[in-house]
Amino acid sequence: MLIRATMGLLILAMIAVLVKMLKGPTIWDRLMSLNLFSVKITLLISLYGVYTDNSMLLDVAISYAVIGFLTITLLSRFILRGGRQK
Amino acid sequence: MISNLLLVLSWIFILFGVIGIFRFKNMYARLLTSSKIDTVAFITIIFALILRTGFSDLTIRLVLILIFILMTGPISSHVIARSAYLNGIPLKEDDK
Repeated sequence: MLIRATMGLLILAMIAVLVKMLKGPTIWDRLMSLNLFSVKITLLISLYGVYTDNSMLLDVAISYAVIGFLTITLLSRFILRGGRQK
Repeated sequence: MISNLLLVLSWIFILFGVIGIFRFKNMYARLLTSSKIDTVAFITIIFALILRTGFSDLTIRLVLILIFILMTGPISSHVIARSAYLNGIPLKEDDK
């Protein structure tokens, strides 16, 4: 029961992060909220995996953590280079 | 019992993480608090799940996720802060 409550709270937090992503004045706020969002999704998947005792879901969570991390680094390098005006 | 306690504790961290995003004025302060609190919330929840699943194949995967996010969390926040700093956001606004 507690895991369901944690999942609910996580979903609310993710919605708040999405609102921050829309509202955020600078690009880096959006990047930060994207980073938080991907960490929270990994949490949600692993919570659901443990809740339904399905170990394959945890593999999905691991791969999503890797993809989320790569997204952040590549996006910030893209922004650092000042976009694609080359 | 402990895992339930830790799960309830993680609620507080998640709430503070969300509040931390909206309350801070300075961009870097937002970046710092949100990433730090979020990593701590992550540790608490994964540790609670590890205690809940005892010793099984789930625990090995959970420990793997924990180690991975512990390493890459701060790195991703650092990369964002670095690109923000190099692209010219002043560290300390003058109005404060």
